[in-house]
Amino acid sequence: MQTDFTAAQLRDPAIREAADILGTCVHYGFCTNTCPTYVLSRDENESPRGRIDLIREMLESEAPPKAQTVAHLDSCLSCLSCMTTCAAKVDYAHLIDRARVHVERRHRRPLAERALRALLGFVLPRPRLFQVALALGRLGRPIQGLLPSRLRPVLAMIPERTQGRILAPQVFEAEGERRARVALLAGCAQQVLDGNINTATIRLLTRHGCEVVVAAGAGCCGSLTLHMGREEEAMAAAAANVRSWMRERRGEGLDAVIVNASGCGTTVKDYGHLLARTELAGEAREVAGIARDVTEFIAGIGLRPAAPERPRLRVTYHDACSMQHGQRVTRPPRDLLRAAGFEVVDVPEKHFCCGSAGTYNLLQPATAETLGGRKAGHIDSTAPDVVAAGNIGCLTQLRRYVGAPMAHTVELLDWATGGPLPPALAGVALQSRPAPQPEEAPAAAAAPAPNDDAGFW
Amino acid sequence: MAEAFFNEVAATIGAEWINRSEETLRRYGENTMPGGDRRPLGVVYPGSTAEVQAIVRAANRHGVALYPVSTGNNIGLGSRSAVHAGQVVLDLGRRMNRILEIDETLAFAVVEPGVSYQAMYDELVRRGDKFMVDVTSGPPQGGMLGNALDKGAGYGPYFDHFGFSCGMEVVLGNGEVLRTGDGALQGSELPNWHVSKYSFGPILDGLFAQSNFGIVTRMGIWLLPRPPAVRSFHFTYPDDDDLAEIVDICRALKLSNFVPTLLRVANDVYLCGSEHPSPDYSPGDRAPISEAGRRALREKDGLGAWTVSGAFYGPSMAALEPQIERVRAAFGKSGKATYIPHEEALGFHALQVAINACSGVPGVGELGLLKWRPGGGNLWFLPGTPMVGSIANECQRISRRIYAEHGMDYMIMNVCSARFARGLHVITFDRENPDENARANACYEALARAYAERGIFVGRAPLDYHALHMGQAMPAFRDSCTAIKAALDPAGVIAPGRYGIG
Repeated sequence: MQTDFTAAQLRDPAIREAADILGTCVHYGFCTNTCPTYVLSRDENESPRGRIDLIREMLESEAPPKAQTVAHLDSCLSCLSCMTTCAAKVDYAHLIDRARVHVERRHRRPLAERALRALLGFVLPRPRLFQVALALGRLGRPIQGLLPSRLRPVLAMIPERTQGRILAPQVFEAEGERRARVALLAGCAQQVLDGNINTATIRLLTRHGCEVVVAAGAGCCGSLTLHMGREEEAMAAAAANVRSWMRERRGEGLDAVIVNASGCGTTVKDYGHLLARTELAGEAREVAGIARDVTEFIAGIGLRPAAPERPRLRVTYHDACSMQHGQRVTRPPRDLLRAAGFEVVDVPEKHFCCGSAGTYNLLQPATAETLGGRKAGHIDSTAPDVVAAGNIGCLTQLRRYVGAPMAHTVELLDWATGGPLPPALAGVALQSRPAPQPEEAPAAAAAPAPNDDAGFW
Repeated sequence: MAEAFFNEVAATIGAEWINRSEETLRRYGENTMPGGDRRPLGVVYPGSTAEVQAIVRAANRHGVALYPVSTGNNIGLGSRSAVHAGQVVLDLGRRMNRILEIDETLAFAVVEPGVSYQAMYDELVRRGDKFMVDVTSGPPQGGMLGNALDKGAGYGPYFDHFGFSCGMEVVLGNGEVLRTGDGALQGSELPNWHVSKYSFGPILDGLFAQSNFGIVTRMGIWLLPRPPAVRSFHFTYPDDDDLAEIVDICRALKLSNFVPTLLRVANDVYLCGSEHPSPDYSPGDRAPISEAGRRALREKDGLGAWTVSGAFYGPSMAALEPQIERVRAAFGKSGKATYIPHEEALGFHALQVAINACSGVPGVGELGLLKWRPGGGNLWFLPGTPMVGSIANECQRISRRIYAEHGMDYMIMNVCSARFARGLHVITFDRENPDENARANACYEALARAYAERGIFVGRAPLDYHALHMGQAMPAFRDSCTAIKAALDPAGVIAPGRYGIG
């Protein structure tokens, strides 16, 4: 794609980078077929290709972004399905992030919109504040009709029950001989929404010989604010994490930074880019280089054999977009679940987003609901005993629509290697599925060489 | 005229299923060919065969040309771009994307035009992964029906996508619906429609492959029971002229169907190009990749000038060991081939593409070819060769010379069956560079001429060259096509100009 930036604009390294990315788009259009908002609307401006054009126009212009452009950019899920399918390998992730920063700085949203975004950006990354907000939200439900319309979908998203557990900085010792020392990104909203994910992760890791550190000073990864265009806040969160984990790495050592929320994992693995133009650039790259999704890490060190008395359940595995498109981690969760003795099935149309997408389901509730229902229909069609996913956002979103119990992948792996039953399965009648029968191979015969066309048998 | 057409269509199917926005018209006109984009008049999204009939009748009444597309992923052959600017794109993929039936006893599916390989794969997996759909190595969102009608092919035993289709429903140019095969029987219960290819009367199905005589709205597609194990094999050869030996061995393996899949014989640039852009190319270059550049590519990726890939199907990986040993003996005779086993190939991007293709798993792995050079230009030249090594090498020499003369990089995969190999020639070029764009066009035309002089026709072609190729056909062939067009689409409303007809 040809661009028309001025020399002055290109002196800004962020614009320079955006211009380079824009130049790689050649409009093949493969992205459109896998973009959820395009498939739903068939509106070119609701496709990655259309948005790329809008971003070019917006960044080239000196004028404030047009409201229509902002609406089309806001409706992008950042699911990155387009990046998986793009033949030209356009770096859409960094382009849309840059566009969001530009919008945040140059566009004045309506008051209610600004207030909601500010509220989410401030509350969600702070677990204790979020815990209070959840309680207030539950109290506010009976009077939600009296609240501003933008707040109602937010209240509707609050789960009936949450099992929060906010972890203080501490060290969990390895069981048996220590094989690795890892930091766990304890996260922010996840700790409040489902504390058992971290607990199960820690059990799984320590059981596999890992010392697990919840490092002082580490907190939100910055993902939520980054995707809202609040770059400075995201960079501050990232910088705090980099400093914290590098202290550990330089101290007792750190073999990996473990992330069990794939949305966060995508961001942490990209810290090198986020902090590229800061004094922490080198350390950020180092942290990004040792960041691993928990399933990637366990697959690397090998899963301990599963406990035999557990029923063989059918697990429908949902690929979070950040896992399959952001991090391209698709095999380890499936391989581990199979190794743990589960029957693993895929979700039809698995490349499609479930509508969670960070704060998307709070800010774009109508599209999120359509996508949630669509995904749930596909999941239910596989008749699962339990649904597994590696991202708290997807779990929270899909629990509203899916009939079967849902658990984080690590909860199932923890259970399969000696941990307790995942809370989602408590009270559920579990029936074992038949195990596959291995084929017996015939003995290899001697192989005569072929002679001619007619006789190759 | 056009306004009256859109008004009538809006009244019939709803205005919300017509899109005439600036962005949509610009994008639907885009393609990757040298001839430029072609802006349509509008895009219409029918939801049923009855709606397609209504639209065709309206087009007849108002003299509007329609251009039907299924999913519009025909990159390198025309994308969604109409033959001429001002035609109305009939996008069947948006709403007519239902899998109408899957018969697990007789192993066939019935699909609408918008059903993609990925959607069919997902549905088959959901049903327990008992059946395999034959896939292309192109985009997973490509349409099965459109690919079959354009004589597209895959790599498994059911590689011939048109050949393994059975029974169609077609809206003719006059708005009438035709059912082919056993479907032609009057009535609504038609148990043989999608299982019998030889019903009473002429076989009309072939009229709708690469033609513009009607709009196919439903098609039966046969499915293969999924083998429990797929074990691939790969052999790489060092020299360009080794193609002759490879082709002769492949012929032997395929004539008896000892190898159930087709054999993909890809050159170095094709395989390496699916992994990364050309390391040799700079914008404006007028020279093809150098011999030194090719050597560097091969050394980097551990491949030779040609690599052949295929696969066996069986009850288990171990059970396939004897077949692997025999195929190793076949390719090992001359001592030139290096064997790459399945397990090793799994970790190699370009060979993983072959494994997926032979396993009926859609994937995006081969789309990387499109960025071999920047600028978004892409053409596919698709002639073939009889499965005779000496002729394959003769074709190779023709193609290499013409690519080099035009400063293009010779990138090809020969897909070998028993008697014929389709040569997937890729021309990737910078469409934004006028000189390179013109050279790509000249390259294609020179190839088309040279192959025709050698007596070899193309199997498929980019839209820009349909008229050229039809012009290469004998007059009686052209006249027959014209006469059939006049009979089935007398007002010429369906894709006039497509395949050089009408």
